[in-house]
Amino acid sequence: MNCTRRNFLIGGSTTLFLSGYFPKISFASMQKKNLIIISLRGGMDGLTAVPVIGDKRLKKLRKKLILEDVLNLNSDFGLHPKLEIFHKLWQTNQAAFVHATNIPYTGRSHFDGQNLMETGAHIPYKEKTGWLGRGLLASNIIGKGLAISLPMPLLLRGVPQNNNFFPSPDFVETKLIDQIYNEFKGEHNELIKSTLDTIRQRPLSMQIATDSDDRKKLALEAAKQLKDKSGPRVAVFDLDGFDTHAAQGGVDGAHADELEEVNKIVTILHENLGQAFDNTLILTLTEFGRTIKQNGGYGTEHGYGSAILMAGGLLKKSQVYTDWPGLKKKELFEGRDLNSTIDSRAVYNSAMSVCFNQDPEFLRKEVFWGDELPDLSQDLFKI
Amino acid sequence: MSLKFYRRVAFGLSPNDKPDKDPLNWALNQLDTIPNLLWPGIIPTEKELRKKYGEWVYGDREVLRKKFKNDKHAYKKAKDELRIKTGEKYFELNEHAIRHYQTKYSKQPVFERFWLFWGNHFAISEKDFLAEFSTGPYQREIIRPNMVKTFEEMVQSVTTSWCMIHHLDNSESFGPNSKKGMEWGETINENHARELLELHTVSPNAGYTQEDVIQLAYIMTGWAHKWDRKNLETGDIWFDQEMHQKGDKIVLGVKYKNDAKRELAKVIHDLATHPICIKFVSTKLCRHFITDEPTEDMIYPVIEAWNKSNGSLIEIHKAVITQAYKHNENTHKFHPPEIWLMQLSKMFDLNIPLSSEKMNYSFSSKPNRRQRQLSWILREIGHSPYRAKQPNGWSDFEVDWVSPELLLRRFWFSSVELPILVKSGNRSHDFILACLKNNFEDHENMASLIENFRFGTLDFDLGQKYGVICNLPGVLKV
Repeated sequence: MNCTRRNFLIGGSTTLFLSGYFPKISFASMQKKNLIIISLRGGMDGLTAVPVIGDKRLKKLRKKLILEDVLNLNSDFGLHPKLEIFHKLWQTNQAAFVHATNIPYTGRSHFDGQNLMETGAHIPYKEKTGWLGRGLLASNIIGKGLAISLPMPLLLRGVPQNNNFFPSPDFVETKLIDQIYNEFKGEHNELIKSTLDTIRQRPLSMQIATDSDDRKKLALEAAKQLKDKSGPRVAVFDLDGFDTHAAQGGVDGAHADELEEVNKIVTILHENLGQAFDNTLILTLTEFGRTIKQNGGYGTEHGYGSAILMAGGLLKKSQVYTDWPGLKKKELFEGRDLNSTIDSRAVYNSAMSVCFNQDPEFLRKEVFWGDELPDLSQDLFKI
Repeated sequence: MSLKFYRRVAFGLSPNDKPDKDPLNWALNQLDTIPNLLWPGIIPTEKELRKKYGEWVYGDREVLRKKFKNDKHAYKKAKDELRIKTGEKYFELNEHAIRHYQTKYSKQPVFERFWLFWGNHFAISEKDFLAEFSTGPYQREIIRPNMVKTFEEMVQSVTTSWCMIHHLDNSESFGPNSKKGMEWGETINENHARELLELHTVSPNAGYTQEDVIQLAYIMTGWAHKWDRKNLETGDIWFDQEMHQKGDKIVLGVKYKNDAKRELAKVIHDLATHPICIKFVSTKLCRHFITDEPTEDMIYPVIEAWNKSNGSLIEIHKAVITQAYKHNENTHKFHPPEIWLMQLSKMFDLNIPLSSEKMNYSFSSKPNRRQRQLSWILREIGHSPYRAKQPNGWSDFEVDWVSPELLLRRFWFSSVELPILVKSGNRSHDFILACLKNNFEDHENMASLIENFRFGTLDFDLGQKYGVICNLPGVLKV
């Protein structure tokens, strides 16, 4: 890869910092738009998922992690062979990537980083709600969040009546709720009571017993719900295992296995959303990327810049959107990590604005405390 | 005094227990001594288990990965055999049994509740193989003995424990101007220093800066495991002068002169006696026992006891219990799934944990289904105690424990799994009524809700009864 910072914004437009918002209320589609976030916990390696092509330095520093059979994207970037669905969708302008991006957090702690990727804040543990929850609330979209996890993820909190799907191994008799419901009296029982309401209003299909370790089944149910016109508009998946300090591998290996999981989820969503896929955005979220250099265990350490994998019919076109910082030592963050040149929160804010039919300026203030986040919706999404 | 006090500060009353005439004194009298661990099965030492941990990581990383580097399937098979040989899939199950046996049968259940609290305050989150080999013994050997000492002594022990040092990477932290730091071009890892400030002592309320974190990390450099080729990272903790940052350090405005290993004790003394630390930890204690948002009038007496006794945990615990007693009638506290399970196990004398004989392990095959049962239940109800996701431990806020699926998991456990755990002599309706009477003032109302099933004694009927009882507001919370 020959590109340097001077090749500003590969595949994108030059409006990154010159955003102008065109009110879209007038032509806002009345159709339901879905926003799906897949959290990749542990630190997803953007350089494994979307590797730069022909960078001699990367090859030298990652001798044991070299990817063969990379899928072709453009002259500068390839795609990990396990991310087949993204490659397929790339051909029809339904997959794209943001590269060299991260939340503005450089501390390299998983826990602080994950907290911040969900709250969108600057100080770990300070905020109690997630950017997605706040975005829904600000957009007055209530009771339309679906988490594919056991607890309610911090990312979705901040708006009431969210649902989650992560069934127990046996059928649960929810009729029992009818027998105790009226016992929940008083203000201090409100949260439980409203959660019992949510359970009672769940479609029967969500009451099935299934193996919650089977992510395929979970994704299938999520697709079914999202497809429903009166169903959820937002879904959150939670994957972990990206923290590959050892035996990270190349085409196969620990990181490849995790990317395969992402691929599976997106494949199932694509296959089962049908036409609703055209009105859907799927975005990944991670706390940081990983070091350029492989470590003694043929893995990588915690880094900074990573990539966002995107799919869905609401994408503007297939592209690798980046302000590529380069991989020379002086171009790296602290001499070791891919730098982050795009605040990933700008991508998420723009995605919410598209899916929730909201002014990005308004969301930026309501959700991200007015932080300077350029509107990328015209560059990345159909508006 | 309502019966819920026994569940607020302990685990309720077993079918053989009777309420005490003086519940406050009953509770206060449990805090002066450390009760013995009652588990009749094996209780391995931290050091023994660390050795097993060493065998596991050495065998896997240094032997098998090299031996089978080109054969993924043979590697997996050999690794599974090593798991069995080192007890990698067993020891956590045994630790859960030790823990739940203790909370069920201890003569000092109030002490045991504080044990759970401190183990979670100084949490070891899910990382590497700590839950398998180390977190349980850390709870027993580091947390427990310090519960009759001072808070400062507790922090000292925790901070220099192998488990916490490994958990928060302090072995990878080098003073940049230390001998090894200069030779190897290494620098600090801030992880442990940050958590010592943020989670263990003063909290972000103290307003420390990034520079304070760095300076504290400098003080902590050198506290590391002793590495060698065979034990890898499982060697004992020592102070390695060659890793230690030279020069004076300043944390929260206090200067610590260059004094090698003695610097740590000094800074911990200052942090553990800092007024903001005292308020932060007193608030957490009140939150755990009284209510999610404790008020100043609950917290202040705890702070006062702390100051008067120079941080004696016995006195602090007594002050917390006194406040919990005082506010028992006018506050509510939601119980996280593990405490809920412990209370059900005690109040209804359920068949968990498995007997120590049946928990015996031969290191020749995978642990069996019954041996895995308790840990599996804990996982399914969403509260595997030694696998908190982050070093801030499991939450003490109701909002983190109420989601549709988390509530459904409780319905699942109580209506499907619990009937299997009812002892054969306890299947009658009268037994349930007696347990309710022993633990709840409104037992008659509770009984009326299961009246329809009174003549059924099949698992299904028991499931209907317990499904209702266990999920009533008065059982989910006090």
